[in-house]
Amino acid sequence: MNRRELMQWLVATAGLSAVETLAPADLLAFGRDVHRRATPDAARRSLTAHAEQTVTLAAERILPATDTPGATDAGVTPFIEKMLSDWHTPEERARFLAGLQDLDARCRSRSSRDFVDCSEADQMAVLNALDAEATARRDHWFGRLKYLTVYGYCTSEVGQRALGLWPQPWRYDGCAPLDAPPTH
Amino acid sequence: MPPPPTDFDAIVVGSGMTGGWAAKELTELGLRTLVLEAGRPISPEQDYVEHKPRWEMPFRGLGDRRATAERQAIQSKSVSFDELSHVFWTDDVKNPYSTPADRPFYWFRARQVGGKSIIWGRAVYRWSDLDFEANLRDGIAVDWPIRYADIAPWYDHVERFIGVSGQKEGLAHLPDGEFLPPMALNCAEQHVRQRMQERFGRERLLTIGRVANLTVNHNGRAACHYCGPCQRGCITRSYFSSVNATLPAAHATGRLTLRPFSIVRSLIYDRRTNRVTGVRIIDAQTKAEREYTARVVFLCASALESARILLNSGVANSSGQVGRNIMDHIKWGGASGEFDGWTDRREIGERPNGIYVPRFRNVTSRHPDFIRGYGFQGAADRSGWEAALRAPGIGREYKAQLSQLGPWTMSFWGYGEMLPREANRATLHPTLVDAWGIPSLHIDCRWSDNDLAIHRDMNITAAELLEAAGATHIEPNTNGPSTPGGSNHEMGTARMGRDARTSVLNGWNQTWDVPNLFVTDGAAMTSSGCQNPSLTYMALTARACHYAVDKLKRGEL
Repeated sequence: MNRRELMQWLVATAGLSAVETLAPADLLAFGRDVHRRATPDAARRSLTAHAEQTVTLAAERILPATDTPGATDAGVTPFIEKMLSDWHTPEERARFLAGLQDLDARCRSRSSRDFVDCSEADQMAVLNALDAEATARRDHWFGRLKYLTVYGYCTSEVGQRALGLWPQPWRYDGCAPLDAPPTH
Repeated sequence: MPPPPTDFDAIVVGSGMTGGWAAKELTELGLRTLVLEAGRPISPEQDYVEHKPRWEMPFRGLGDRRATAERQAIQSKSVSFDELSHVFWTDDVKNPYSTPADRPFYWFRARQVGGKSIIWGRAVYRWSDLDFEANLRDGIAVDWPIRYADIAPWYDHVERFIGVSGQKEGLAHLPDGEFLPPMALNCAEQHVRQRMQERFGRERLLTIGRVANLTVNHNGRAACHYCGPCQRGCITRSYFSSVNATLPAAHATGRLTLRPFSIVRSLIYDRRTNRVTGVRIIDAQTKAEREYTARVVFLCASALESARILLNSGVANSSGQVGRNIMDHIKWGGASGEFDGWTDRREIGERPNGIYVPRFRNVTSRHPDFIRGYGFQGAADRSGWEAALRAPGIGREYKAQLSQLGPWTMSFWGYGEMLPREANRATLHPTLVDAWGIPSLHIDCRWSDNDLAIHRDMNITAAELLEAAGATHIEPNTNGPSTPGGSNHEMGTARMGRDARTSVLNGWNQTWDVPNLFVTDGAAMTSSGCQNPSLTYMALTARACHYAVDKLKRGEL
């Protein structure tokens, strides 16, 4: 990592530690705000505003900001929007969108609120149950959400840098110590 | 301004692996040479995109699924086809061909300056007399008209120019070449090499892959910087392609004319002199027809495309062998296994190369189930975040898994020799034409029982190697055999031989029927070996060029 990248990194992580201290409702508002800036309405083709908020929050629960950036910081939602609109089949998209409605229904049966408005504990309980179902059944809609979230995160610039995959080392060492710096 | 010339000393059809070599050798030997390329020109500064990060790709590397299904359903089966490299393969809709419904054949095609040399796997292995004598020994097909001694100096010649990194091992049946320093084996691969040596001696040997990637600066090209996706180009010219090396060398002579967008419809044949006088092309953009003339013509258009040109021209086929004897390599047999050790170690950088286990079946002993054999390619690595995609869990602890590495996992996958059989054949389709109205091919090709027996054996011996190395969780590959054509090693459709009645080419890649017509791409192959074939195509091309120029100068073409 060179000096310029280090500076960018420090700026980015300073912002993140502030995010970590936010309460869940504030975090959601933060996420909505970030998202409003990231995705103008015109760019939304598969997700409604509500679905977009649902995806953003669910993705953040799957990959939360910790000492490294989370799904929201990595811009996972625009990637999911792109994939739903231009990559998946209409059937796959419909099942995914129906799944988001199921997510709300499960939360309402617990707390009479949609997913985005229910407590973090309820959100995690519902998502953990869905994850268990998706682990048992490969074609579960939640498996697609999780795949897109993780794939989108790990292939984003934020994610690639957080995972130490970018910048590229431009050399080969086939037996390097685990903690070796990636670059010279 | 005078019109551009239409008459040359030599015409080369194709600008890829062998066309680039023909261009270099013929121009350096003094011939004014026209290279005709069906596809577009390539500018490395614009067209090479190997450093584009994942997040700048619309689908992050997953590819444009809809466009691929619509336009490149076949091309996308190639292992080096991806979201960025897809531009180096043809459009299947514009370039149709047919197969029997129950016998698919993958015909991977590249139409641009550089052809498939831009997207090849870069593995280069010499053949030996184990290969050149094989048909004679087994009484199969026809005998090669050459032996290792005939081609060895040309392997030297090609290797010196292209730059091949590798480790000398002193094996008679996989001769060493003029190698640049080898790339490194990683921790697990070093261990497997050691343990295999203890169990199998020199019979089964693991060595670093021999690849046309530079490990040191060479002939004005820079050493590899280990960025990974070679199939997207290489701005430092660190791997060999015709764009990176042979075409610039040809251009430097001042005798090269390169014409892109030039699809050869047929050869022009003069019955009176029994010579080809040139070629008819269709301009890919305007569809205008043109003719170019020359004293000698080299077909370097790829095995099936060169056969198609011969069939569409109705020349050089008195043997009836043009289009027959299609061979590929059968693959996807093998196994993988895990190791407990070196958890404090990892790979840094992307090595564009794996390991190689040279053929060990039917070398010094005889296998009861099949003749010929196979080599293993493979690699060891540790899985990264991809392993978490299907792992259970969400939240903070799950996220921590993304940066954890899995155990070292070693995989072997075999490339097996395919026997030449006349029934494996490409013919002109009676009605199907491409987007330029040129008759397309119907390809009928299947594995023989011998090929399939080789494939089955791969799973068994790969597991033996892993077991000898102390691996755990050894899993044989569950993929069945690959689809013919799938290794992108198609060859044999205008074979060399010793007899004009049973082969298309003599021992100099010269057609028996028409003295000034040469075919030097994969079509020339008389058997398939199990080694990646491009090095042999290049060596045969260089050899044939020197022969042809010598004959021209003596007035004997």
